[in-house]
Amino acid sequence: MAFLEVQNIQKSFGKTEVLKNIGFSLEKGEVLAIIGSSGSGKTTLLRCINFLETPQHGVISVGGEVLFDADDPSKIKEKEIRKNRLHFGMVFQQFNLFPQYTVFDNLVLAPKLLAKEKLKENGAYFGATSYKNAVAAIEAEAAQLLKKVGLTEKSDEYPCNLSGGQQQRVAIARALALHPDVLCFDEPTSALDPELTGEVLNVIKGLKSSDSTMVVVTHEISFAHDVADKVIFMADGVIEEEGTPQQVIENPKSPRTQAFLSRFNQYSD
Amino acid sequence: MEQFWNITFQLLEGFKENCILFGVTLLVALPLGLLISMGSMSKILPIKAFCRTVVWIIRGTPLMLQLFVVYYIPPLLTDGSFKFSDRLSAAIIAFVINYAAYFSEIYRGGIESIPKGQYEAGYVLGMKKSQIFFKVVLLQVVKRIVAPMSNEIITLVKDTSLARVIAVGEILKNAEQFTKQGLIWPLFYTGAFFLIFCGVLTLLFRFIERRLDYYKG
Ligand SMILES: Nc1ncnc2c1ncn2[C@@H]1O[C@H](COP(=O)(O)OP(=O)(O)OP(=O)(O)O)[C@@H](O)[C@H]1O
Ligand SMILES: [Mg+2]
Repeated sequence: MAFLEVQNIQKSFGKTEVLKNIGFSLEKGEVLAIIGSSGSGKTTLLRCINFLETPQHGVISVGGEVLFDADDPSKIKEKEIRKNRLHFGMVFQQFNLFPQYTVFDNLVLAPKLLAKEKLKENGAYFGATSYKNAVAAIEAEAAQLLKKVGLTEKSDEYPCNLSGGQQQRVAIARALALHPDVLCFDEPTSALDPELTGEVLNVIKGLKSSDSTMVVVTHEISFAHDVADKVIFMADGVIEEEGTPQQVIENPKSPRTQAFLSRFNQYSD
Repeated sequence: MEQFWNITFQLLEGFKENCILFGVTLLVALPLGLLISMGSMSKILPIKAFCRTVVWIIRGTPLMLQLFVVYYIPPLLTDGSFKFSDRLSAAIIAFVINYAAYFSEIYRGGIESIPKGQYEAGYVLGMKKSQIFFKVVLLQVVKRIVAPMSNEIITLVKDTSLARVIAVGEILKNAEQFTKQGLIWPLFYTGAFFLIFCGVLTLLFRFIERRLDYYKG
């Protein structure tokens, strides 16, 4: 069984079926790129994985543990969902930073709240057994994460004073501060000016390591080609084609994939 | 000169009633308004319908009429066995209901203007609904409603003089009594009391707005 297993996800909004029996798997440390035209259901799929939408059918598991099963009512309780959600991190197209907090506080807000709760529940949070120690560890890590995304000197700034690219890098660091097993990105550079996409893509590239598993929805085909271990092309709520970047991007078999990619090649080649 | 201070003192007596009416209304209507706004955004349809209907009725009729209703209807319904011994209490009830309705709409506007993404960011970071409300959304709502709230609160200061229609001994009623002695100027003089009060409030609100100016968005 793979590290991340997504099986038979079916999601409808009213009568429109947006995801039709989607499934894929990913090994630990792998990067999956999801490409596809507008409206094909990419965002909806990521939202289902992060429990922001509840699919009508399907099973999601990480590391062998079933986190979601549409047929198991105990898995759709709010408390359970909140706990299971922590296996995933999400970076939004629109950043969604908290405007009233500094960059640093954006990073530590949720971990601190979580540490308080975990300490009360089972007396420990990532090895720390007192709130004071937990906070020290959380703050040290936040500083480290800011360094990783190259924003140490912006630590005390408010999000409104940052460029879009910097805001998105903060959002990435904020998601990482909770140690998700799988980090999801929904078109992380689509809201950015073209000259700012590079800095964000480089940060994502830099995260690639043996223990960070990522799912990236993107329109940056060359990024998908260079960074992903696996590429999925979605069309109308189904996986039209999947495989390695060489298979899907260089030698697409499906006519729809070919048609989609040809639009990009016109400009890049 | 002695007459001036005498009259000032008597007007102040009346203005005390205005201040009590203002203070109690604010103290009760602010939280009550939040409750009503929660109700009018509720997913439970009867609660939502009820709250929205109440708000529609209260905002759709004159405050002066509401004062009459609160003061005169209970004795009529109880054949006179219930009667407000204290007119100010009747005024307070009418004002609280009226202002809670207005405040609730301001709260609702503020809460609904917060982008969905703020909640979703909170959710994916493992936060509870209540944590998202208090740690993420609330301050943003406050920032967005300071201006409309201050408007409404300054209107409240001046509206308190409406309590006169059920004979609450507020400042304008006091001033009117001097007209019987042929003194008109105290009536106009009351304006100064309102101006000073509203001036202080304006400064206070400007201070709050400045305090929340440290971020945009
Ligand atoms: N909350 C919703 N209610 C109703 N329909 C929805 C909802 N969310 C998405 N849809 C529909 O589902 C379909 C897929 O939307 P989705 O946002 O997942 O596409 P996408 O692949 O992310 O597109 P894009 O590249 O434009 O971001 C669209 O037709 C959209 O209109
Ligand atoms: Mg999308």
